[in-house]
Amino acid sequence: MIKISDLVSDDAAYISRRAWSDPAVYQLEKHGVFGKAWLFLGHETQIKHPGDFVQAYMCETPIILARGEDNKIYANINSCSHRGLPVCRADHGNTKRFVCPYHNWSYKVDGSLVAIPQEKMVSQKPDKNTLGLKPVPRVESWQGMIFGSFDESIEPLDSYLGDMRFYLDAFFDRFENGIEFAGAPHRWTINANWKLPMENQLGDVNHGPFLHSAVIPAEANQEIFDVGLSAVPHPGHGATFRLMPEGTPNENMAWGMEGMGAILGGSEVKEYLFEIQAKAKERVGDIRARMKGLTYGVYPNLSFLWSNTSFKVSHPRGPGKVEYWSWSAIPADAPDSVKKILRTNYSSFFGPGGILEQEDSEAWMQQFIGSNIDFADDKPYYYGLGMGDEKPHPELPGMVSSTANEYYARAFFKRWREALESVSDQDANRIALAEVR
Amino acid sequence: MSAQLKRIEQQFAIEQFYYREARMLDNRQYQQWFALVTESISYVMPSRVNKLVDNRLRGKEEMISIDKELERSDDMGSPIREEGYAHLFVRVDRAYKANSWAENPPARTRRIVGNVEILSVEENTYRVTSNFHLFFARPGSDNFIYSGQRNDRLIVDGDSFKIDAREVIMDYANIDVPTLGLLF
Repeated sequence: MIKISDLVSDDAAYISRRAWSDPAVYQLEKHGVFGKAWLFLGHETQIKHPGDFVQAYMCETPIILARGEDNKIYANINSCSHRGLPVCRADHGNTKRFVCPYHNWSYKVDGSLVAIPQEKMVSQKPDKNTLGLKPVPRVESWQGMIFGSFDESIEPLDSYLGDMRFYLDAFFDRFENGIEFAGAPHRWTINANWKLPMENQLGDVNHGPFLHSAVIPAEANQEIFDVGLSAVPHPGHGATFRLMPEGTPNENMAWGMEGMGAILGGSEVKEYLFEIQAKAKERVGDIRARMKGLTYGVYPNLSFLWSNTSFKVSHPRGPGKVEYWSWSAIPADAPDSVKKILRTNYSSFFGPGGILEQEDSEAWMQQFIGSNIDFADDKPYYYGLGMGDEKPHPELPGMVSSTANEYYARAFFKRWREALESVSDQDANRIALAEVR
Repeated sequence: MSAQLKRIEQQFAIEQFYYREARMLDNRQYQQWFALVTESISYVMPSRVNKLVDNRLRGKEEMISIDKELERSDDMGSPIREEGYAHLFVRVDRAYKANSWAENPPARTRRIVGNVEILSVEENTYRVTSNFHLFFARPGSDNFIYSGQRNDRLIVDGDSFKIDAREVIMDYANIDVPTLGLLF
């Protein structure tokens, strides 16, 4: 018998193995975390024209994200109102109608039901207005990033992101014409709990010098040691970066210069990146122009890897399985030749074939093995590193400390515990979980 | 020598090259394997997507052509791998470090290369397509099967060949293998 209060200690210095592996905890997460958060769906540049659509997920629920004939953005659950089959089978595309294969009920891209072929053979006429796809009740975007929520009364996206926008804007606002996602997301499964890929990007820079020491050079780790910071603008969100000293040369400061693409890519890409950096101070201000980002996390499961410029979502598929999605993000107005080079900043190191990603996947998979064992519940995981070291910063929002401080994770798990506790008795009964409360 | 005999000889030489290459990779002799690639090598793995079927192409082979499912190096999508000599060097170098944890202990692999077909020969350049099945046993994890096609450009190098370009087209619905970062 598990109590939620046993999953995370009051100071969050101890996290139970069950938090990572228990099927009942996962059911609570679905309602308390994924049912009540803003979840990332896609980027506006993926659906530029009326009829454009991409697939997305909110936890395990499949979503169609589309631009309607009226040019507005729609998010609907990809499940036919008649017998429940997914009505959209393609990863992305442009269409006028989604047609269910079973009985050919057909829907506009905005989710409204337009045809029931059997209708003319029956006397009772179903009310098509009530039989559209189920819409995601709240959909909002910020900086082109589209989010959806199942919680009708959730706070606006802007305030949900709060001061996390300060750190995200340090990236987005560098580009005069914004960013775009290159191609379809890479999607792959990992036998791990969804929270570990999230925690890894939220602030766990400190695994780099150890897990990745076969590939990451010692100088890169020294730089993180010297000028690396971990900021928590709000519990559940996090940003890690290096705050480079004034006068740092472009080679060692400009966004994009750390990837294999830029390193091997020749003068065109270098000049392009230096030009962006030259305008950075004017566009994002002095302190943010000197930010050389590492990894970011947005509660509950979106992350952004600045150094290799990839957005990632950790979609759960049960307590022990993740479907990881990742996109390479590139400046929308870069020449095609530069875009092709910059996308390899991501793929060389990350994604399903990445040199570093394979080590991460291995660690995440092995952590689930350790979390799913018996006779060790009296040995929860230690999350107390750096307890109390986090402090407000004169120029940066949130609590700030060295990257070895695990405050980012303690803050996440306190929020996570509250989210589980917020699941009402009614919900808990409905999902037959009274025994874990 | 008749044209027929010459073709048989070419086919034999290419197949023997692929068997030798497969043996090196399965024996974890990646440093020896690395000597089989040119410094200008392009090593690409397209990504594979589920495209919307275009109704106007009904009745034509083009409707379900494999090309439509691939995000390749020369278009604006997002291939899984786009690598050169330096990338492959890092992969080979990494394999012989005790702290490359995804390979500690190393995976046990066995690959079968088949359906070797020489598509064209121009002077010393061969375009060859082949298929592979790769059994991959990862200690501490599980056993996996990789299946794919390789489209190669090989350059004659004395009495052997060097790989100057390789495009690896993987067959997957969902990527449920530990990594696509192997040497295929």
